[in-house]
Amino acid sequence: MKRKLLSILLTASMLAAMVSGCGSKQEEGQAPAEEAQTTAAETQEETTEPEAQTEASGEAITLKWAIWDKDITPYWQALKEEYEATHENVTIEMTDLGSTDYMTVLATELSGSGSDFDVVTIKDVPGYATLVSKNTLEPLDSYIADAGIDLSQYGGVDKQVTVNGSLYELPFRNDFWVVFYNKDIFDAAGVAYPTNDMTFEEYDALARQVTDTTYGAQVYGTHYHTWRSAVQLFGVLDGQHSILDGNYDFFKPYYELVLGQEDDQVCRNYADLSAEGLHYSAAFSGGDVAMLNMGSWFISTLIANIQSGEYDASLCGNWGMVKYPHAEGVEAGSTLGTITGLAVTSVSDQKDAAFDFVEWVSGEEGAKVMAETGNFPALMNDEVAGIISSLEGFPTDAESKEALSVSNLYLEVPYAENVSAINDILDTYHKSIMNREISIDEGIAAMNEEVGKIKAQ
Amino acid sequence: MNEKQAALVRQLEIDTNTLMEKIRQEDNIKKKQKLIAEREKKQRKLTAVRNNRIISREKKRDLVAYSFIAPNFIGFAVFTLIPIVFAFALAFMKWDGSNEITFAGISNFLRLTDDTFFLAALKNTIIYVIGTVPLTMIASLALAIVLNQKIRARGFFRTVAFFPYVASLVAITAVWSMIFHPSKGPVNYILLNVFGVAQENLPKWFSGNLVLVTLILFSVWKYMGYYMVIYLAGLQGISAELYEAGSLDGANTWQKFKYITWPQLRSTTFFVVVMLTINCFKVYDIAVMLAGGGDGKLSTSATVLVYYIYQNAFNYWDLGYSSAIAMVLFLMVLVITLIQFRYEKKINS
Amino acid sequence: MSGQKENKKFRSKRRNAIVGKTMLYIVLLVITAVMIVPFLWMLSASIKSNREVFLMDPFVWIPEVPKWDNYVKIWTKIPLLKFVENTVFLTIVVTFLQLLTSSFAAYSFAKLEFKHKNALFLAYIATIAMPWQVYMVPQFIMMRGMGLNDKLLAMICLQAFSAFGVFMMKQFYEGIPSELCEAARIDGMSEYKIYAKIMLPLSKPALSTLTIFTFVNTWNDYLGPLIYLKTETKKTIQLGLKMFIGQYSAEYGLIMAGSVVSLIPVIIVFLCLQKYFVEGVASTGLKG
Repeated sequence: MKRKLLSILLTASMLAAMVSGCGSKQEEGQAPAEEAQTTAAETQEETTEPEAQTEASGEAITLKWAIWDKDITPYWQALKEEYEATHENVTIEMTDLGSTDYMTVLATELSGSGSDFDVVTIKDVPGYATLVSKNTLEPLDSYIADAGIDLSQYGGVDKQVTVNGSLYELPFRNDFWVVFYNKDIFDAAGVAYPTNDMTFEEYDALARQVTDTTYGAQVYGTHYHTWRSAVQLFGVLDGQHSILDGNYDFFKPYYELVLGQEDDQVCRNYADLSAEGLHYSAAFSGGDVAMLNMGSWFISTLIANIQSGEYDASLCGNWGMVKYPHAEGVEAGSTLGTITGLAVTSVSDQKDAAFDFVEWVSGEEGAKVMAETGNFPALMNDEVAGIISSLEGFPTDAESKEALSVSNLYLEVPYAENVSAINDILDTYHKSIMNREISIDEGIAAMNEEVGKIKAQ
Repeated sequence: MNEKQAALVRQLEIDTNTLMEKIRQEDNIKKKQKLIAEREKKQRKLTAVRNNRIISREKKRDLVAYSFIAPNFIGFAVFTLIPIVFAFALAFMKWDGSNEITFAGISNFLRLTDDTFFLAALKNTIIYVIGTVPLTMIASLALAIVLNQKIRARGFFRTVAFFPYVASLVAITAVWSMIFHPSKGPVNYILLNVFGVAQENLPKWFSGNLVLVTLILFSVWKYMGYYMVIYLAGLQGISAELYEAGSLDGANTWQKFKYITWPQLRSTTFFVVVMLTINCFKVYDIAVMLAGGGDGKLSTSATVLVYYIYQNAFNYWDLGYSSAIAMVLFLMVLVITLIQFRYEKKINS
Repeated sequence: MSGQKENKKFRSKRRNAIVGKTMLYIVLLVITAVMIVPFLWMLSASIKSNREVFLMDPFVWIPEVPKWDNYVKIWTKIPLLKFVENTVFLTIVVTFLQLLTSSFAAYSFAKLEFKHKNALFLAYIATIAMPWQVYMVPQFIMMRGMGLNDKLLAMICLQAFSAFGVFMMKQFYEGIPSELCEAARIDGMSEYKIYAKIMLPLSKPALSTLTIFTFVNTWNDYLGPLIYLKTETKKTIQLGLKMFIGQYSAEYGLIMAGSVVSLIPVIIVFLCLQKYFVEGVASTGLKG
């Protein structure tokens, strides 16, 4: 009996395989019908649009907005409240999609039929590229022209996310990378604090000076989070390279720098970090890391958590920050940036109201709210920098304030059609190099080859 | 049979008879044949109506049976069968889930041959299967034989062996990554201090070539309890008389195992190996949790097929390509199951 | 002379037996240790502070000042209660539906004759050898089309109708003599009554086995919820735990406390049903 069953099992699975032939035909027939349905739905939405416009003038409007980590990110609620206070007929409804996989989740939501988001937050550029290619975002050019927004106020980052001449998001937050440091550790070692004008050699020497390898009382001169940005992107600061290049030989000196530091226990071992999934905040707040290169978003986290007692103030309460180190001959203050933007969905049936919200958040009013919560708006100017550096808990030294002024900003990931795949390739080989599965040269060669394949497609 | 039907039967009987008469009288062959055909038709209908009672009973029986199956089958058909057909079709398409779907022929499969990440995933998955299947089988069989003896606290030992299987993967992988932590974990601590392994030679369990070994070890540890239970059930099906006869013939333990237990467990082993193979090819969560680090991304040393299916589907939205990879997965499971089946058949005959 | 020899032989045999038994217990103890140490480590770490977790010299199982408040903190650090609720709800519904529908269908396959029986059963059998991962993507696309994305209902649809359950229950019912049903039929019992009054009460071992399998699988499923459940309030405990580990990577004590909590329900179910377990596996033909 049992044997008979198994024979049935096998013939059946083969049958299933054969069915595939018929199946594909069936699907072919089905797909256009499905397609027709969605286009029908779209046209329907377009016809209802004029009604929505009239609604915008006074009737109650509810905008659905996709965000992440509502409870630990202070500005969502602040933006919502401030906007609602000035626009009485509008209610903003936030949906928290969580920060891990946010862009994946969003892409799933938007490409489905049941999505009803009007405004979505764009967390990173690869995800943005996906959404644009899936036709789920509304091009904002005509809205921008109608509202008369001057894009030059964003300092050129808008150009790095323009797709075939169209812009699909407006940035409202712009983070840049700095070096955080723990003053207590430098004091204890009797070493001078890092400065706003350090070359990589000076930075490396400084890190080695404060390092203490005594077992049980280790002090790490510096710390690199497991992201590839933390290491690879030292290389793009000279403005001559980008991660879209296809040739990554320029990563080499920085991998040598970091792996060399690892060998001498100047920084934590990548394999360890990866095994425990150590968060950079946990590393820095533990009080045994002297310097940490990280994005400016860490400022508000650090301030808030020290105030709430979540982080032990005796371990990391006395911190400061300086500009990113730079290569010999490059101007200080060049750094990496990451923008967060807002976009209007193409399925929204109240696009004008949605754009109004996007414009407000990415404009001056929004920028103020962002600054007051300790975050960096895309619309950065001296006033905003002043708001942030005068926040309670922000380091009081002049260097830290000075660190907020950026001379050149390069996006961590600028837009390209296949940026998602390129990003993953660089991630993968970063992992392999840092885990020492392959040598630096092998890793870079593999990156060149794989990205070359993607670009050839 | 109700009156209406009775009347119908009578009418049909009359019709066939008259037709029979007509056939006899007809000389034209063509016309005759036509009439014969007509009569046969009536005749068939007549039998059908006469047997009506039997048919309706059969129908009722079928309906009752279907009513039992329906709740499960409808759900099963909608949520399993249809997607399977869809999966086969999708492998030959290009689709990003929102724009137009286009026919891609076998281009998805051609792409596979030159895809470094796919090939790495394929290689790792195969190594994992080759490592895990025999080890788990041997470990669970040994465990089952030991726990089938008359020993004290047998229930306790069985429960303990089954424990890892019921334990949640996320929780238990968290423990493993602490125990095997490359620099702080107790395993490496023991290697360093008891076995005197030099610090720089301490194994990095979650990266490089070792990561697959860790995955295999973990998987054997976690799933051997499950297969042990299946073997236990198989062992209980072997009659004690066989062993008694063996003892009388002076067989030692090893001989008893070789000539009684092992042959008697053949169908169990076959089942275990088939299930193990299928389950091993599905590996995903173990790899992501043990080797994924903070962001859950796998490098070429630890990537597996299901991870790459997921990646292509939900990160690149290349649904056709992801289905093509899924087809490779399916084909491998199928081929291996077939080979095992052939082997089993050959041994039996 | 010969008696002495016999005696010697007997004694050495006994000695062998004793040595064998001792070896057996040593092997058992080693296996038990390997199996259980990670769990003990988990328990121990869950009441330690971060520093104590990796402290090897001296290593203690129970720290001097156990941090019981780890077990209090985890409920407030993340919405663990919500995760537990979701998972319990899902697991109970799925297990219930699975038991009900598969035993129902299995009865029909095992004890009734009907048209297309073989073809229908074939459909079930064929999918057992088909890993879910092969069709998870199209299945997701389809469910999304039905508006089930990010709904707990999607997980129920996904897990409640497995071919495995039907196959297993059918094997079990085939082991029950058909005469029982025949006799009942002659007494004029309807098939539904035969199922409810005769078959169900007999199927305790099989149902317990299926309960353990379904419960464990649903409770511990990771990839399914990862694909379908997106909103934090809908996540299951596995996703929640993973998220928690991501956020509080260095808080080993908390992570371990959360892990312990996530184990408790499965272990309770397992301990309640385990006495039927081997018997159930033996009678459901799972042994091959």
